[in-house]
Amino acid sequence: MPCFVDQLTPEVAVDSVKVLRHVGCEVEFREDQTCCGQPAFNTGYWDEAAPCAERFVRVFRDAETIVCPSGSCTTMVRKFYPELLKESPIRSEAIEVGKRTFELSEFLVKVAGLTDVGATFPHTVAYHASCHALRELQLRDEPLQLLRAVNGLKLVEMTRNEECCGFGGTFATKFADISAAMGQSKVESVEASGAEYVTALDPSCLMHVQGMLTRNKFKAQTIHLASILASNGARA
Amino acid sequence: MSGSTTATKVPPADGASAHDHSQSSNPEQQFHHDSAVKAADIAHREIIRKNMESYDAGHMKGRGRFTDWDAARERCQAIKREAINHLDKYLLQFEENVTARGGHVFWAANSEEARKYIADLAVRHAVKTVVKSKSMVTEEIELAGALEKVGCTVWETDLGEYIVQLRHEPPYHIVTPAMHLNRTQIAELFRDKLNEPDLPEDPQQLVAAARRKLRKAFFAAEMGISGANFLVADVGAVAISTNEGNGRLSTSVPRIHVAVTGIEKVIPRLEDLATLWPVLATSGTGQPVTTYGTLIGGAKRPGEADGPEEFHVVLVDNGRSSLVGHPEEREVLHCIRCGACLNICPVYRHIGGHSYGTTYPGPIGSVLTPHLRGREFEHLSYATSLCGACTTVCPVKIDLHHHLLHNRRDFMKKGHGKASERMQFRLWRMAMLNPRLYALGGWFGRKSLRTIYGLGLSGSVFDPLRAWNRKRATLPVAKESFREQWRKGLGGKQ
Amino acid sequence: MAANNNPSRDRILERIRAGLSVPVATHDEAAPRPFFAPIENPLERFQQECKANLMELTITSDAPASAQQLSSILGTLPAGEIFVQDHPSLRRLVEAAGVSREIRWSAQGGPREVAQATVSLAEALVAQTGSIFVTAACGGRGASVVAPCHIVFATTDQLVRDLKTALSNATKNGVLRNNSFACMISGSSRTADIEKILVQGAHGPIRLAVILQRA
Repeated sequence: MPCFVDQLTPEVAVDSVKVLRHVGCEVEFREDQTCCGQPAFNTGYWDEAAPCAERFVRVFRDAETIVCPSGSCTTMVRKFYPELLKESPIRSEAIEVGKRTFELSEFLVKVAGLTDVGATFPHTVAYHASCHALRELQLRDEPLQLLRAVNGLKLVEMTRNEECCGFGGTFATKFADISAAMGQSKVESVEASGAEYVTALDPSCLMHVQGMLTRNKFKAQTIHLASILASNGARA
Repeated sequence: MSGSTTATKVPPADGASAHDHSQSSNPEQQFHHDSAVKAADIAHREIIRKNMESYDAGHMKGRGRFTDWDAARERCQAIKREAINHLDKYLLQFEENVTARGGHVFWAANSEEARKYIADLAVRHAVKTVVKSKSMVTEEIELAGALEKVGCTVWETDLGEYIVQLRHEPPYHIVTPAMHLNRTQIAELFRDKLNEPDLPEDPQQLVAAARRKLRKAFFAAEMGISGANFLVADVGAVAISTNEGNGRLSTSVPRIHVAVTGIEKVIPRLEDLATLWPVLATSGTGQPVTTYGTLIGGAKRPGEADGPEEFHVVLVDNGRSSLVGHPEEREVLHCIRCGACLNICPVYRHIGGHSYGTTYPGPIGSVLTPHLRGREFEHLSYATSLCGACTTVCPVKIDLHHHLLHNRRDFMKKGHGKASERMQFRLWRMAMLNPRLYALGGWFGRKSLRTIYGLGLSGSVFDPLRAWNRKRATLPVAKESFREQWRKGLGGKQ
Repeated sequence: MAANNNPSRDRILERIRAGLSVPVATHDEAAPRPFFAPIENPLERFQQECKANLMELTITSDAPASAQQLSSILGTLPAGEIFVQDHPSLRRLVEAAGVSREIRWSAQGGPREVAQATVSLAEALVAQTGSIFVTAACGGRGASVVAPCHIVFATTDQLVRDLKTALSNATKNGVLRNNSFACMISGSSRTADIEKILVQGAHGPIRLAVILQRA
């Protein structure tokens, strides 16, 4: 579970657990987990990130399957651990753990073979393609398949939906003006699409987009894919 | 050529942009300032967006001419990899073939040596007028100023370059130097500088006006300077891809032709151009090939009707050789300068080419510049969200966004990071290695933020997340963390 | 250039060699896959591409028809001298066309700035991209760029399928050993530097006309 989801947007994790249980999985939360190490890694502090990564591997080494409602955290574990832990004795274990780590939509569609999880969400929804999930994990179709199977959900086209929202981790505060400008373009696309909700695979994107939507007083709301899939009726 | 305004382009060395009045000698500060200004400039964003949408459409159409675009990229990557992995061998083969036919090859370690060689050449031959076709390397080495110092009038003949030269600005983009201007602005500029007060705004007429003016320069110049897209080793020729014909005239009419190029431009065989030419054109502009694929192996030979009497190739190092030995980033030298990564980059689209303050902007510029110009430009590797779009479009499959990450790692290893930031991450690591400390820190963080925001102090100096909150609506902070909820019963039986 | 005139040469080579000795990540060379569709009908493809390139292509059946076409093109141009590559086939063509203008032949040097048109042969034609491949032997460098109108006279047996063939032939035939210059031309000069709007005719020719005679 992404560390900031734990602390800032726990409903994403709560809803992920709901969905996984609904499709018949036994869900375990290992309280020992903290963070995958991505913030330090992305900022270039690989010496600080490596112990966190090693810890993650140790915490999850015997887990059968690891599911994470975040494309960027999943990318960290599967794509970047082998490089980050190049000198580590735990490297080959890390690779194995990575093979068993999946982003939520990836797990549902590619591992569990499901597209219909029995959700109902009668609203118009635009899909923002989070960068890590799209370009590192190659998840383009899977989230859309899940969304199309949701009862009452109408998927609307959005321009520039594969363009980065501008979050980028510490980039959002180090280069806040550029980040905000990119976010502004993103929410203008959302508003132009007419959608009531915009969804994505990454809670970090959504946090940033929501901040910009609210600031602009645009009508759309962000909602994580997990929350849509956990939904069985209209949102309050 | 009286009446011409050929000013030295303001070199990007100190990062000053044409629109900035607060000069700063610190490139990083200058970048923060310029990018913030441009990021807020809605009109600028719209111009760039329109241009990029036009490019996107052309580019996708161009890709459709390939039955397997990815296979073409792989082939280009293989060609450049072969070239760079045997860089010494192919450069020597190129040099041998050129010098065997009377051409001159000069190896310049840095900008100064390159400038000196060319300026000395101009003086020796009493050159008064120089015509230049587009070359980013000549921008990099700041050649125009050096030639003006020895009494030459330098004409930029590529239309976009000519426009920015008249405006005393650096080029905005490596392929379309005047992308940031519209026809109204260009018409005004030409009416004034070309002394044609009745010139209409019509692009056709504007181009015709530039043609009239520059034609005189082509036929008067003693020296023509070009760049090189590729150096073909097996036949010893410089390959230049152009559309306007200015590169053709600059290398046909004047007595002396100087081709200025980076050492990394070499390719093994003439046949390699059968792949590189179409891919470069598709990625650069969406064309199947550029109008002219020129190959020059030397000065005029006996029996030829015309051509320069002397041919010089200046091979510029300027830090490139240092990348050869970089275990991960040698492939950065594969770049064919197509501009595709600039076009797709969302950061570039929002801050524009001038904000970077470098010869090469965009993703390739951010990766490359610290290696060419030093630590003053390391900040560019951080001014990105690492979205990875650049890597998906690079025609030679350079792993651009990962190299930005590698740059960050290397700079931190060298100790270039802020001490306070390193300390923050050390504390962060401590917390992350200790789940109780992490949970406690999280609880405390949420409690204090909720209190601060509850008091309406979001964005104020009391707000640790003010950098975030000043640009967006206040971050909503959850009351209970997930692990608290899990313990409270979420983890219970299903 | 001798090392004492260019001391940096050896230093740069040394740095390159030192760099090359550093082990870098190795890559598996994927088996090369084709990426252009095979060209079934080169002449048809050449016609299509010339059209897309905004070139004026006329296919003629014999010498008199070619001469007629040349005369017709020159008839659309303002009065003034033209430049012609000095080659027996062009001497014959120009005579048969009954050209009454001043002619400057390439034996006298390159075209003058005032030329209204240049006429040349080609080294080859390329179907894939609708290109004319010229060399210095085709009347020199200026022959394909100085005048507002460039006219190429070629025969269908000069047509090759693709760039790969043209460049491979060029290497085999030592084109760049025997010529200081060659150029693959795929249209008349153009620019999109103003608002990305395509404008035909920048610094080079505004028109490129091809008279293609059946061999």
